[in-house]
Amino acid sequence: MTIVTGNEARRRAQPAGSSVPRKIWEHRADYAYVLPAIAVMLIVIAYPIYYTIELSFFNTPPGLQLRDKIFVGFNNYTAILTSDVFWQVTFNTLIWTIGSTLISFVLGFAAALALHRDFIGRGILRAILIIPWVISAVAASYIWKWIYHSDFGIIGAVLVELGLTSRPPNFIDNVSTVLPSLIVVNIWREFPFAMIMMMAGLQTVPEQLLRAAKVDGANAWQRFWHVTFPHLRNVSTVTILLLAVANFNSFIIPWIMTGGGPSNASHIWITHIYELAFGRQRWGVASAYSVLLFLILMTLGYFYVRALSGNERKEGNA
Amino acid sequence: MTRSTLGGAVLRGTVSTALMASLMSAPALAAPPVDLSKWSPEYVRSIAGTQDFDTAADCGKVTPLDYKGRLTFWYQGVFEGDPDLLRQYYKDFFETFRKTYPNIQLEEQALTYNDLLDKFRTALLGNAAPMAVRLQILGGTEFASKGYLQPLKPEDVGYSTEDFWPGAMKAVTWDGVTYGIPTNNETMAFIWNADVFKRAGLDPNKPPATWDDVVKYSKQIHDKLGIAGYGLVARKNAGNTPYRFMPQLWAYGGGVFDEAAANPTYKDIELNSAQSKAALQASYDMYVRDKSVPVSALTNQQADNQPLFLAGQLGMMISHPSDYNVMLDLQKKATGTDKDKAQTVIDNMRYGLIPTGPDGKRAVVFGGSNIHILKPEYVEGGKVDEPAAKAIICMWTSPEWSLKMAYAGSNPGNLNGFKTKWMKERLDSIKFLDVTTSMLPYGIPFPALPQSPEIMNIIVPDMMQNALTGAMTVDQAADDAAKKVKDLMGGGL
Repeated sequence: MTIVTGNEARRRAQPAGSSVPRKIWEHRADYAYVLPAIAVMLIVIAYPIYYTIELSFFNTPPGLQLRDKIFVGFNNYTAILTSDVFWQVTFNTLIWTIGSTLISFVLGFAAALALHRDFIGRGILRAILIIPWVISAVAASYIWKWIYHSDFGIIGAVLVELGLTSRPPNFIDNVSTVLPSLIVVNIWREFPFAMIMMMAGLQTVPEQLLRAAKVDGANAWQRFWHVTFPHLRNVSTVTILLLAVANFNSFIIPWIMTGGGPSNASHIWITHIYELAFGRQRWGVASAYSVLLFLILMTLGYFYVRALSGNERKEGNA
Repeated sequence: MTRSTLGGAVLRGTVSTALMASLMSAPALAAPPVDLSKWSPEYVRSIAGTQDFDTAADCGKVTPLDYKGRLTFWYQGVFEGDPDLLRQYYKDFFETFRKTYPNIQLEEQALTYNDLLDKFRTALLGNAAPMAVRLQILGGTEFASKGYLQPLKPEDVGYSTEDFWPGAMKAVTWDGVTYGIPTNNETMAFIWNADVFKRAGLDPNKPPATWDDVVKYSKQIHDKLGIAGYGLVARKNAGNTPYRFMPQLWAYGGGVFDEAAANPTYKDIELNSAQSKAALQASYDMYVRDKSVPVSALTNQQADNQPLFLAGQLGMMISHPSDYNVMLDLQKKATGTDKDKAQTVIDNMRYGLIPTGPDGKRAVVFGGSNIHILKPEYVEGGKVDEPAAKAIICMWTSPEWSLKMAYAGSNPGNLNGFKTKWMKERLDSIKFLDVTTSMLPYGIPFPALPQSPEIMNIIVPDMMQNALTGAMTVDQAADDAAKKVKDLMGGGL
C-alpha cells in the first residue's frame, strides 16, 4: 500500500494546466483568508476612488443636487491648474510637507541617538518625549492656538514681560508667520514618531562593528557616518516616506488652528479640498484636487513599498 | 443706555417703518397678531403678558397627544458662547416634549452653528438626513432650492403666516413656496464698557453714533489705555463674521447685492461699490492703520471676544442681549481678584443701538433659525413620520416655546410669543432686552439665495482677510470678492 503524504495529496489534487492557475489553487486557503479584507477595501476604498474620479469631470453648482451634476470634461482640472489659489496652496503644501518632514526627522533622529546611550533617567525622558505624539491632535491644536494667541498668548506675554517686545508677536494672524508657526506645532507632534522609528533602527546596528571601528581608531563621527548611518538608511527612508505621506494628508492642525487662513496663507491641499467640498459644495473641483493628490500619494506609496521591499531583499540575502 | 439715547432711537425706529416694510410681504400686512408699525420698547412692554396659550392643547389639534411614532431631529443647539439659562431651556423643551408626546420616540441631535451646515449637507448626499431639522436662517433657501425640503407653512402646524415676522417668512420661501417655519428671530445690539469709555476720556453713557465714530473711539481707547477698542471679528467659516460686518457694510450704503433695499432683486453685485469699499476701509483703518482691535480678529469668533470684554480688555462689541447673562456666568467661574474685575465690567456694561453709516442709515442682520421637514427619499430609512415632525415643530414654534428657547439671546419667531407672561418675565429679568428688540425694525435678512452660505461664510470673510492682512489693497479685496460672487452666481467652478 502506498502512503500519500499531505504535500503529495495537494499536488495530486491540483488541476492540470498552466502554472498560474496551479499556483492560485495551491494558495487557495491564503486567498480565502484575505478575501474579507479585499471585499471591505473594494467597498470603502475602490468605490470611493472610482466615484471621486467620476465626480472630477462634473460641475456641481450650489443650487443643484449632486445627482443633477453637469458634465464638464477636464474643465475642473484646467480650472485648478490655471488658478492662482492652486499654486498658492501647492506652494504651502510643499513648504508644510518638506519642512515638517525633514525637521521632524532630524530632531527625532537626534533624540534617538541621545536616548540610545545609557544614562540615568533615560526611560523617563523617553516617556516624556513621546507625550506630544500620544496627545490628541485636536486637543493639541486648541492648546497651541491659545499659546500662539496674538493678543493673550503665553509666548507673547512672556516676551512682553521680559521687555523683548512691546507688543505680542503675531504668529497665526499674519500671512508670513502663520505657516511656519503651524509647522512648529506639527514638528512638535511628529518628531517623537521619528524618534521611535530611529530608536528601533539603532537596535539593529551591530555592536561588534562599532567596537571594531573603535579599535581601528575611528572617532565618534566616523563611527556614526561609516557604521551607524549605513545601517539606518532603510529605516530612515521608510520614516521619511511615512512622515511625508502623513504630512501631505495632514488636516487637523491647520484646520483647527486657522481654517486655512488668514487669506489662504495656511491652506494646504487637504484643507482646501475640505473647504471646496463641504464649505462650498464644489464636489467636482474638490474631486479633481483629490485625484491629483491621490496620484502624488500613490507615487510616494510606490517609493515606500520599494523601500520596504529593498529591506526585505537585503535581510533575505543576509 | 441713557434714556435720551433710547428715546431718540425709538423715534428713529418708528420713522424707519419704511425700512421695516422691506421685511413685510403683502399677506403679513393683513392681520398680524401684533402691530408692527408701533414697534418700540414701550409697545413690546405693553403687549407682554396679555394673552395665555395652552401649547399642549394647540399642538394636540395638529398631532394627537397619544400619537405613536418615531422622529429623528437635528437642530442648531447651544454652544460655548451661550448662557447657562439657555441650556436649561433646551433641556426643559425636550423633557416637556417627551411628556406631552410620550409615544413619540424622539432621537434628537444638537450641532453647533459652524458644524451644522457641513454635516447636514454630507448626510443629504448619503440620503441619511434626519426627518426634521432646525437650521440657521442662512441655510433654508439652499436646501429648498435643491429640492430636499417638503413644503411646510405655519398653517400646517396650526398657526398662520401672519403670526411670524414677514422678513423671516422670506427666508423660508423659495420660488413662491414656503419650506419652513421660523423658530426665533433676532437682531443684535452694540455693547460697550462705560468704565473703559470714562478712562479713555469718552462720555461713558454715549455710544458711538456712527461707524466713523467707532473707528475714532476704538483708536482713542487703544491709544489711551493700551487695550483693544472694538471687537472686530473676521474669522472665515464662522457665522459671527457676517453678523458683525454686514451691519457695517449696509450702514455705509453697501451690500453684496441690493439686499438692503425694500424689494431686493439680487441682480447687481454691490460688493465693490464705493460704499462697500468705505465699510471695508473702516475695518482696515481699525485693524491695520490704528491697530486698535484685537490682532487675533482673523482667527477669533465672538466667543473669544466675550472673555476679553469681561477681563476689561475690550471696549466695544456687537452681540446679543444674552451676552449680559454670559458675562454673569463667566463671572461666577472667576476667582480672586478676577471676580471683582469681572463684576466691575458687568456693572459698567451698556447696550445701545448699532451705529449708523455716514448718511444716518442703521442696519443689523435679521437673524434667527427655521425648522424644516425633509423629503422621505433623503432620510435614513426612506420614511418621514410627518405627524411626529409636525408635533415637534408645532411645539417649538408655539408662542410659549419659541419664546422660551430664545429667552436670553433672541426673540420668539411666533409674534404671539411677545404677548405671553414669559415675555413679561423676560423683560423684567433680562437686562437690555428692550434695546435689542428696538433693533428689530432695522433688521435686514441675508439674501434668500442658495449661494448665501458661501457668500457670507467664505467670500465676505475672505475679502476682509485679504484686506486686513495686506495680501490685497482694500480696492483689490473688494473687487476680488465681487468677482467671486459673480462667478458663483454664474455657476462657475
